[in-house]
Amino acid sequence: MNDLRTLWLPLFVMGLAVVVVVVDSMAPPSEGPRVGRGLGWLVVVGLATAFAATFFVDASGRAAYGAYDGGAWSVFVQRLVLGAGALGALGAIDDVHARTPDRQGEYWLLMLSSLLGMVIVPAARDLVLIVVAFELMGIPLYVLAAYAKNDDAARGRSSKSLAAEAAMKLYVVGAASTAVTLFGLALVTGMAGTSHLDGLALAPSTPLGTLGMLFVLGGIGYKIGMVPFHMWVPDTYQGARTPFVAFLSVAPKASGISVMAVLFLSGFGAHRDAWVVPLGVAALLSMGVGNLLALPQTDLRRLLGYSGIAQMGYLLLAMAAGDALGLGMALFFLAAYIVTNLGAFLVVHAASQDGRGFGFDALHGMFRRAPGLAVALLGFLLSLAGIPFAVGFWAKLFVFLAAWRVGLYGLVVAGIVLAVLGLFYYLRVLHAAYMVDDDRPRARRAPALGLAIGLCFAAVLGLGLWPAPLVDAATRAGADLLGHTAQFATR
Amino acid sequence: MNAHLLSIIVMAPALAALVILFMPSAARVGIRLSALLGAAVSLAGSLAALVGYDRASGGLQRVEDYPLVPAFGVHLRFALDGWGGPLLVLTGIIIFAGVLASWTLDRREKEYFVLLLVLVSGVFGVFVTQDLLVFFLFYEIAVLPMYLLIGIWGASHEVRASGPFAFVWKRFAVGDKQYAAMKLTLMLLVGSAAILVAIFALYLDAGGRSFDLGYLATVHYRRSLQVVAFPLIWLGFGTLAGVFPFHTWSPDGHASAPTAVSMLHAGVLMKLGAFGVMRVGMVLLPEGARAWVPLVGAVAALNVLYGAFCAMSQTDLKYIVAYSSVSHMGVVMLGAATLTPAGWDGAVFQMVAHGIMTGLFFALVGLVYERAHTRAVAKMGGFGAVMPGIAAFFTLACLSSLGLPGTAGFVSEFLVFLAAWQTGHYAWAIPAILGAFVTAIYVLKATRAIFWGPGPAESFHDLRDAQRTDWGALVLLGAGLVLLGVWPRLLLDTIDVRSVAHLAGLAAVAVR
Repeated sequence: MNDLRTLWLPLFVMGLAVVVVVVDSMAPPSEGPRVGRGLGWLVVVGLATAFAATFFVDASGRAAYGAYDGGAWSVFVQRLVLGAGALGALGAIDDVHARTPDRQGEYWLLMLSSLLGMVIVPAARDLVLIVVAFELMGIPLYVLAAYAKNDDAARGRSSKSLAAEAAMKLYVVGAASTAVTLFGLALVTGMAGTSHLDGLALAPSTPLGTLGMLFVLGGIGYKIGMVPFHMWVPDTYQGARTPFVAFLSVAPKASGISVMAVLFLSGFGAHRDAWVVPLGVAALLSMGVGNLLALPQTDLRRLLGYSGIAQMGYLLLAMAAGDALGLGMALFFLAAYIVTNLGAFLVVHAASQDGRGFGFDALHGMFRRAPGLAVALLGFLLSLAGIPFAVGFWAKLFVFLAAWRVGLYGLVVAGIVLAVLGLFYYLRVLHAAYMVDDDRPRARRAPALGLAIGLCFAAVLGLGLWPAPLVDAATRAGADLLGHTAQFATR
Repeated sequence: MNAHLLSIIVMAPALAALVILFMPSAARVGIRLSALLGAAVSLAGSLAALVGYDRASGGLQRVEDYPLVPAFGVHLRFALDGWGGPLLVLTGIIIFAGVLASWTLDRREKEYFVLLLVLVSGVFGVFVTQDLLVFFLFYEIAVLPMYLLIGIWGASHEVRASGPFAFVWKRFAVGDKQYAAMKLTLMLLVGSAAILVAIFALYLDAGGRSFDLGYLATVHYRRSLQVVAFPLIWLGFGTLAGVFPFHTWSPDGHASAPTAVSMLHAGVLMKLGAFGVMRVGMVLLPEGARAWVPLVGAVAALNVLYGAFCAMSQTDLKYIVAYSSVSHMGVVMLGAATLTPAGWDGAVFQMVAHGIMTGLFFALVGLVYERAHTRAVAKMGGFGAVMPGIAAFFTLACLSSLGLPGTAGFVSEFLVFLAAWQTGHYAWAIPAILGAFVTAIYVLKATRAIFWGPGPAESFHDLRDAQRTDWGALVLLGAGLVLLGVWPRLLLDTIDVRSVAHLAGLAAVAVR
């Protein structure tokens, strides 16, 4: 019975998926579209309910023979992915309804399957469960990326479908990364003699085990778009439907980071010397490549893709710190990144509905046509750039502080300099939205999309003005995973 | 009400901005009146705070404390001190006059006033906050809206990209106000990056418990840390204060900005930079300051002289005023570098005096440009005959600029040069005094060329003098200049309390 209470959230998400399937298949075909939009709202309400319920249901304790742990750490990450899922679904309702009115059930089922994996990932304490949950998260995403295959809007200048390319890249890269991860985990299991996480910490370090850790790092690096495993990011973002990309650009990264935390900080915590240098180098490369390659982009989705790579670089700085404080700050960063990036992509999607595609000129005249949207975009860009009082400022600040505290001075200085450089391309976007006018009329916008953007904006501003509760929750979650508390105070 | 006076001063403009955000764009008068009301509340509050400051007991008064991120010791901690009071009043005066000067704005007023007021909230915040991180936070707020303010409402004229990175600018921002806005924002944010690094080092070295400035000032940092951190803070904040050679954003930025933004930026924002160098750099890092002061002073003297010579060779009226700001900010930094009560009093007094003076200058330049539609000095002449009021106030500002006794400019320059001479820094004092002399040449030359001499050219015959709301700004600023010139003790006594306290604390830490 205790097991059931601990496992309530995965069961809830699975139940929601079943309800979606049943409702979808029961609806008569002729009434598909109407039921379909309701289906989207059903998913949103279900996920929001689950999000709210995490504050009331005590899921702590272990279940499934110790393979699943529902403590503060798991709950925090689960809230992140549920929030990202609810907001992402809210932003996608109208797009799914407009593009594929007859097969919306598939979309929501795939999304919920992926979310089911995401919900299990942070709580998994056994290598086998981690891999299974991680794949459950990843495979539906390949299908979703190809969802717009027959969509004209996703086609580039040539006749080939960008969506097919997006999905293919995501799939091939994802499959390869899974293989690499699995091979690495096999080596690690050989080193530890057990697949359970608690056993990893006690294992003696062997050369093959170290090699395994690096393989695992690379495998997870693919998923979160860490340089040098980032090639798929801009192409996939450009090819897939933008509301889906909004979800893709945040939720899987939360899962990837949580796996990295569970495996490296908790599991291989004792072997920090072996992985901290590669991780630091990857962080530096991500910040550098992401920021530099974002500069010349002319497609907003690609620009946000490269900016996302850079953001992951900042986040990895905190992971490289390797202690509970760094992990807590990484979680804070992740939360800030989710609301900010999700919002930014949804704004880009909303702007593209006015018929100019995804270039900078899609934003021209936005301050006049859609003042609310322009204000929201301003908030998201300032947050991505790390300007107070947007939540992104605190996120960058805390990440840098955590890394500075353990002596990663060079990385922090590089990060700060690159952050200033990054401001340049964010300002270019701002320039397009605020300083160039055109003569397009005001467009009508779907209320669900507006609501999603508004919620993201409220979170960016609200958490920026009063970050304390999120800081406390993130620090607690970090301390829960690593088993010790965290403070900046050194003496 | 009284217990939250400082919060009210800081929040009033931001609240006004929030109200304006929800007003329809068509409510043109309503938007302006809301903005003016927000500015008026802050101005009145600042005056009340200054008058209510108890000089006899000194120290921090009206302390307010709200936890922001208590886990890491970040507090929204407001308090009034001897430096903050006068600078609050300066900011209040400038924003009030600035809103009046923006009365005739003709496009996108709503966004303009929102950004302007948010920016001013940040400035007020910097002057009253007692927490290093919140100080930095407000500092950033004060810097960032400038990009949009200049980029959208700036004057359209050609600004040529120059310098080693000119090709980058040409690639992304063609040479106009966008170039000026981008240059200003990026240069100031590179400065911020340097400051942030120094803040990390100080915070974690002091134990990582609190960002409280009072607490951080009692910590004795390693000398090696101080020597590395001080230049970061000096150049970081100094970029905003126009420290040579990081002043190049200033002429382009100020010349491209709309009138009220130039007033605010040259009048108040550049002071934030100098204030930061003194309040954070010199007070927290006495040994670092002592080690670097020879360079700080020398560069400041160079600033005074170089800025003056640059101003002399300009033909665009706004560039003249902009370069004169670079020159006058050198006086502030020079006073700071002496590390004596007289020098620091002079420096803070110069912040106020120059703030009011340059605010008046930019307001007048705006008025002249609005009427004559040119800023080229060579095309003007004899304007005194058609706009006597503007001419009179311009002359007044010029006299203060060259340091005539009886105007505010004299008091501060006298104090600073005296302090430099008394401490034996003849090498600083002589070029600086020479710079003040060059200032006299270029301001008088400009005044004569624009306002005096034979009557204006045919096309300028029907130019009008200042109109209704214009007078408000001019009288307020002009009266301030004269009042502070004849009665400097009004502010000096208050400033001195803080300077002496800081220097005493500095000596105490150095002895330990």
